[in-house]
Amino acid sequence: MFWRMITKTLVRQKSKMMMIAFTVVLGVSLSTAMMNVMLGVGDKVNRELKVYGANITVRHKDAALMSDLYGLEGRGVNDKFLHEEDVLKLKSIFWGFNILDFAPILEGRAMMGSADVAVIGTWPEKHAVLPTGEELDTGLKSLRRWWEVSGEWLNEGGNDGVMIGHLLASENGIKAGDTITLTAGGRAMTFRVAGIFNDGGSSDSKILMTLPAAQELLGLHGRVSSIEVSALTTPDNDLARKAAQDPRSLSPDEYETWYCTAYVSAICHQIQEVIRDGVAKPVRQVAESEGTILSKTTLLMILITILSSIGSALAISNLITASVIERSQELGLLKALGAYNWQIVLLVLAEVMITGIAGGVIGYFMGIGFAQIIGQTVFGSYIEIARMVILIVAVILFFVTVIGSIPAIRYLMALKPTEVLHGK
Amino acid sequence: MASRTRKGSRLRMYFRMLSGSLIRRASRLVIAVLAIAIGATILSGLVTIYYDIPEQLGREFRSYGANLIVLPRGEAKITRETLRALRELVGEGRIVGLAPYRYQTVKINEQPYIIAGTDLEEARNNSPFWYIEGSWGDSQDTSQVLVGHEIAGTLGLKLGDTFTVQGVKYGESAEASRQDLSAEENQKRDLARQNFHTKLTVRGIVSTGGAEEGFIFADIDMLDDLIGDTFRADVIECSIAANAAELSELSAEIERIIPELQPRAVRRLTQSQDIVLGKLQALVLLVTVVVLIITMISVYTTMTAMVAERRREIALKKALGAENKLVMSELLGEGVMLGFTGGALGVFLGFEFALRVSLNVFGRGINFQWALIPATIAVFIIITVAASIIPVRRVMDIHPAIVLKGE
Repeated sequence: MFWRMITKTLVRQKSKMMMIAFTVVLGVSLSTAMMNVMLGVGDKVNRELKVYGANITVRHKDAALMSDLYGLEGRGVNDKFLHEEDVLKLKSIFWGFNILDFAPILEGRAMMGSADVAVIGTWPEKHAVLPTGEELDTGLKSLRRWWEVSGEWLNEGGNDGVMIGHLLASENGIKAGDTITLTAGGRAMTFRVAGIFNDGGSSDSKILMTLPAAQELLGLHGRVSSIEVSALTTPDNDLARKAAQDPRSLSPDEYETWYCTAYVSAICHQIQEVIRDGVAKPVRQVAESEGTILSKTTLLMILITILSSIGSALAISNLITASVIERSQELGLLKALGAYNWQIVLLVLAEVMITGIAGGVIGYFMGIGFAQIIGQTVFGSYIEIARMVILIVAVILFFVTVIGSIPAIRYLMALKPTEVLHGK
Repeated sequence: MASRTRKGSRLRMYFRMLSGSLIRRASRLVIAVLAIAIGATILSGLVTIYYDIPEQLGREFRSYGANLIVLPRGEAKITRETLRALRELVGEGRIVGLAPYRYQTVKINEQPYIIAGTDLEEARNNSPFWYIEGSWGDSQDTSQVLVGHEIAGTLGLKLGDTFTVQGVKYGESAEASRQDLSAEENQKRDLARQNFHTKLTVRGIVSTGGAEEGFIFADIDMLDDLIGDTFRADVIECSIAANAAELSELSAEIERIIPELQPRAVRRLTQSQDIVLGKLQALVLLVTVVVLIITMISVYTTMTAMVAERRREIALKKALGAENKLVMSELLGEGVMLGFTGGALGVFLGFEFALRVSLNVFGRGINFQWALIPATIAVFIIITVAASIIPVRRVMDIHPAIVLKGE
């Protein structure tokens, strides 16, 4: 009898129930979309922030930053090198998947005519196959997205090509397509200028070439001076700061948490485990600022999500109250026919719940659609769907429908059948 | 005359019916106003946030450090007057940090190091990403300095340690140590008039993961005193709240007005900021649009549902001889009042919400768009009126008897 009454209501009161279901659909789709976007936004923004370049640099433990300071890049000051064959091992660390781009750098000095210039050898665009069979594309090009290049980027195989910083190029009147001769340690090599780059920083007076060419020119086979690494990281917290000082100060539990979280200090620690004699250091300018931007964006999205979820919860709850109150006549008749209060309450709740569930399911899928539209439009990639959203939305929806029914139920309790039926 | 009285009483009756219907249905009214207020809160709150995002987030991007480097043109140095002129030209409001730097080579334990003299407070504004073990110095006690992590490691310096720096005063030339003199005699020569030496205390150790770790940072005035020279900066680092286009405009202006300066935007920061900020803005815009559309529809359906319930009442009125026009105008009046009340309530809740978000996320107040108040109220009046009239129009054509019979 109970179920018959419910089905009857649902069929008879089609338009009213449709209205509730529709509002639930809207509310749930909004919350679902916002929560998915909120949970996915950290990862997306993190990837966007990679345009700032490397957030970790790896150097030889004894090669201080002194060469940067004095421009004394002669042999003897900077004669400590990393091994080129170690570079690809970066992808084999625990957080290897989070390492998006990396490039080895070999710095040295050479003579261009009578002028002493800084040269950099690197992988412009490397395609490599790892021992695990995994293929990857990396290189300096994706770590220097802010460069403005007239001419072409160096290509990986183009060992006879160089790129020149725009200050150096304009001082010497070099254009793309020209040839230059560089000498170092008695070796002379001739290069074709592929392009002129504008870095807006210290690289503007340097010459960029491929790693093999630089090794040949400088006579440093298989050597690199540093590695730039761009990794997806989690913003630092107290644990990460403590670990960055000294990982040995952590308790075994803390150590495990730290090691298995993508903190920049944990990734550095793991890099040092695979690169012989390497010291990996976070570039605080990038790493720290990433954390700031990420946490602000995420917090902003959380607050917007909360606002819109509260908004849709209130809207649903509101409509339910309205629709139950409107049915006072029908419910008054039931009371007059001898129905107990709890029976009526159960009836109302069951109706609302069924409508809510139907609306919720449709709304959930619509919400995922909205989230994907946002992901595609803004970031050009799909937003990962978080399962936990289903649970959160379901719990919220349950309470919203119940709370929305409470004023209505109280109203029903106080209902005098005669008054209602008389039409008041 | 008679027609005017009639008209007056008609108007009175209209308002009586309007207020009567509003008061009688108090509980429903609360629900309606609530629905509208929720919608208006979301609308005004989100739009306020959306308008303020570029500026607020733009400021956050300043945590990446200086985005404009100003160099002197040619061999000249930057004087205090030029620095002040630059500060005025950029405008206090846009400056996050503006620090002059003077680099001086000194000797510590007969090894060369570089002291960077700067305004430590401005340097701190410029580079919030520096990790300082200990604390930033200030201009009170200038013998306390910051030491790069690299130098601290090489010299074995810890917080609170003192070290001696030596060097040649400005405009004097150093005399090389001579091999035919003993160590003491050489040392004595180093202490002569053209040389300086002083004791400095380590107040903080700087880690950045970059070249800064190989410098000693001290107060620029102290450094000037030490080397016996007036203020001369080698470079000014500026952190300015502006995007790439505004910065290049500013650079052109600096070059025009202060020709002895040579500004250079740090492309890495300006280009990247434009890309990322653009994405974030697009994200907030899209989210705002989606939320607003859904909220508007939701308010509309709630209102529709409530008005649809009044078919019986409307039919009764028609049976009593009310014209369609009269019924419509009554619904219209109700819609306007509900829309106004709910909208006005929501606008202020929305502003409050936006302010809280801004304080929580960015730690700053927010600029309210006052035009949002009339706009929000108007939007919700339109929604309520539309929601009231459209469902009832269908009822209008129905014969009252059919509806009243209970159908």
